[in-house]
Formats: sequence, C-alpha cells, structure tokens
Amino acid sequence: MPYSSIFKDHLANPRNVGELADASAVAEETNPVCGDRLRLSLRLRDGRIEAARFLAYGCAPTLACGSALAEMIEGMKIEEALRLTRQDIARALDGLPARKQHAAALAIETLQAAIKAEFRGQNSE
Amino acid sequence: MALRRVYLDHSATTPVDRRVVEAMLPYLTEKFGNASSVHFFGQEARAAVDRARREVASMVSARPNEVVFLSGGTEANNLAIRGVAEASENYGRHIITSEIEHSSVRGICDALEKKGWKLTRLPVYDDGIVRIEDVRASVRPDTVLITVMLANNEIGTIQPIAEIGSLVRKEREKGNRHLRFHTDAVQAAGRMHVDVESLGCDMLSLSAHKLYAPKGTGALFLRRGVRLVAQNVGGHQERERRAGTESVAGIVAFGAAARIAGEELDERVAHVRALRNRFEAGVAARIEDVVFNGNRERRLPHLSNISFRYIEGEGLLINLDLQGVAVSTGSACSSGSLEPSPVIRAIGRDDELARGSIRFSFGKDNSVEDVDYVLEVLPRAVANLRRLSPLYQKATQARACESETV
Repeated sequence: MPYSSIFKDHLANPRNVGELADASAVAEETNPVCGDRLRLSLRLRDGRIEAARFLAYGCAPTLACGSALAEMIEGMKIEEALRLTRQDIARALDGLPARKQHAAALAIETLQAAIKAEFRGQNSE
Repeated sequence: MALRRVYLDHSATTPVDRRVVEAMLPYLTEKFGNASSVHFFGQEARAAVDRARREVASMVSARPNEVVFLSGGTEANNLAIRGVAEASENYGRHIITSEIEHSSVRGICDALEKKGWKLTRLPVYDDGIVRIEDVRASVRPDTVLITVMLANNEIGTIQPIAEIGSLVRKEREKGNRHLRFHTDAVQAAGRMHVDVESLGCDMLSLSAHKLYAPKGTGALFLRRGVRLVAQNVGGHQERERRAGTESVAGIVAFGAAARIAGEELDERVAHVRALRNRFEAGVAARIEDVVFNGNRERRLPHLSNISFRYIEGEGLLINLDLQGVAVSTGSACSSGSLEPSPVIRAIGRDDELARGSIRFSFGKDNSVEDVDYVLEVLPRAVANLRRLSPLYQKATQARACESETV
C-alpha cells in the first residue's frame, strides 16, 4: 500500500495526542461502516482554535488523518477551520489512496461536530 | 547506522535458498530446452522435470506420476476443487469445506455455490480446529468433495486431516464411491511432516515459494485413479491434466527446495519453534492485553498470531515496518476489504480483536537476535498506538476507577 513518508511519520510520531483537560469543545465521531473512531478536543478562544488534541482508533489512514488535522488546526481561526475540506487533510499527508478518502472525511466531520458542539454550548448558557 | 531488517512474514513468502538458485540457474541459460521437444535440449529439460517430480513426490510420500506441476497453490486449489466438482457433478453437487480456508479455496467454493453447488462450511470453534464429528454429520449421499486445509495460513492450526481421510475411506466402503478428499497443504509443507498415505487424501496442494523456492510454481498431488476435469486445456503437458509449457527452471528449483526441506525438516522445525516460543514468552511478559489466537499445541511451529487489544493491525504493521520489522495482518484495512479477518472472526473473537491481529511467521534464517530486536521494538510500537486509542483511554480510566473504589 503506497503510503507517503509524511503519512508514515504521522503514524510513528503522532502529533497533538491526548485530551485537553480544559477543552471547550469535544466531539467523537464513528465511521459506521468500519467502526473507526476519532475523538477531538479543542480549546476555542477569541475566534481561534488555541489548542487541539486527538485520539483515534482504526486503520492507519484514520490515525494519520487525526494527527494531521490536530496539528493543522492548532492556532487556526475558527472560520478558517470550518472551511477545511477532506482534500486539505489528504494534501497534508501527501495524498491518500482512493479507497481511504473516508478517513479524511471522518476528520472533517469530527472537526465540524466539535465546533458546532461548542456553539450549541454557548447558546444554551 | 543502517536499519536492522527482520523478516517475519514467511507465511507470505520465503527468500530463495542459495542452493536452490544454483540448481535452477543452468535451466535458464544453457539448459533452456522445452521439455516437450524430442531433441537433446528438450530431453535434457525433460530429465530435469522428471527428477524434480521425484523430489517433490518424495517430500509427501507420493508416486512421481501423481504429481502435477502448475503455477502455484491457487492454481492447485482451482484444479482440485473445480476439476473434481465438474468431473463428478452427475453424482452429486454437495461440497464440505471449513470456515477458515485460504481465500483461493473460499473463492472457488463461493463461485461453485453461485452455480448451484451446495456448500457446507464447517465451524472451527475457539481453538481454530475443525471437529471430525462435524465432518461426519455433514456427509450426504450427494457429497462429492471434502476440502479442508492441512494447516491454516493465519493462525497455523493443524486440522484433523488423517481422521477425515479415514472417514472418507469408510464412506467409500459404505457405497459413497464418488466422495473425494482434497487438502490444501501450502502452509504445512516444509513446516511439518506431510505424508499423503497417512493423511488419506486424494489431492493435496503445494506451493514452491513457501519452501525457499521462487514464486510461480506449485504442484497438485493427484492420487492414481482420481478423475478430474482439466482446467487448462490445449496441450499434452502433465499428462493432459495441465496444458502449458512447463516452467522448467521453476520446477527444478521446487524439486531442489523439496529435497532440502525433507532433509532439513527436523532441524528447521526445532529452530523456528524455539524462536516462536521465545517470542511468545517475551510478548506475554512485556505487553498487557494480548490474546494468542488458535490452539497453542496443534499448530505450525513457525507461526504466532496475536491480537493486541485497543488497536488496529495496520497501524502496528506500519510502525513495525518503520523499525525494519516485516509482519502481516488480517485486518480489513490492509487487505482491502471491509470485513475484519474471517479467520479470527471464525474463532469467535470480537471485531476489535479481529482488527488488532498480527501474524508473525518465522523462517530458517531468523536468529535469536532477530527475536530479541522485535521484542524491543514491538512493545514501544504497541504503546505508541495505545496512547492515541480512545478505547485504551476508556479502559485505563475504568481500571483506575475500579482500583480507587477498592
């Protein structure tokens, strides 16, 4: 399976692993087909993603996409993060095999779910 | 410093033995004849093929004219199963097989089922072994073929082939004359004693590249008197059972590899078993939450299949590969299917354990140093992946809560 060297590096040295104790937004999404999971915890402040941490279970692309996403969004403006697409994730990994695009889709879904969760949280306060 | 490379995937394929390379090389260059030609060059090739046929036959205690050379294990399985199914369809269309056959046998059986054959797939229980009582209970008057592997390719469990063989003999004596018995011995040959007489099989599949010979050559043992419909037609080779010019160099290599495997069998078995046992003891001592798959006694000596809880096999495979260690996984992701390993599922493991299974298969050229190197990098790779697994985080939190309440 032709994975890029940056992809493999994310697997050997995953970035931003873990869970934020003071997260303001958390989401855990599952791919219903294969059971892969991605958990994202974010600290949002002043329209920015101040910190991002991820946990992931599943095949290698799911882990690599989680790591690439968490690394990429730290410090990013929320509005910018909401515009990210799965192609951005795939690009950060020097491409994904055609059959593995769903892993990048799961990363984007989890990111959007986390940000939405934090806005819902604010509205209810 | 160069990365240490440790190859632990001998069930996928083996390196070609230097002695085997030397035996085959002349048949690529000066002894290049077509074994069907009448002239000197052809007869030289013919003599070499005949010698190899004796060598391969001798490895499994068959007669030379019961060996059909072909392209490999998958073709051997196709010829045996399709060939017998087509030859005996007037007598019945029921086939008995197991849930853990190699994908080639599974694929052939699925294809026959679509064409109207009736299939019984025997369970293997949590130890990965077919029960003779289940075989007995499944035989019907219209059963024409039983195909059960000698040893499994993922977990190495050894099936009760001799028992099935004697059951088949009894069934034939009772009047079920058209019942045939095939076993896929691709993983077993060269790793355990294989004898077609004591196994009592009518057909047995072999592959050269699992025995330190090159890819592209295999053989089917076909007992004298067993009729099948050739699947490759249009030539007289292999006594009309498999048309096509023989791959003379590949066959010579297979013969040499079979002869050496026979001579060195006991030594090889003792060597890989010692390495495998050292490895498993090390894993059990160093890594928590692992499950060893398959019966621990009745299995091939060179193979270890382990499920690592909370993580998926492909990520572990890539982490190990980056450390120079080559293994394989039955995980869905790397095999390109969505279902986790059917073999690990068949022994009753949940999806998580099926996805977290890794096969380590040792070979004659591995060393104790190889094992110790893997025991050094494997725990780190597992810990690395568990650190980012939400399943592991939940489990450790739950354990922490339990110990607090105690």
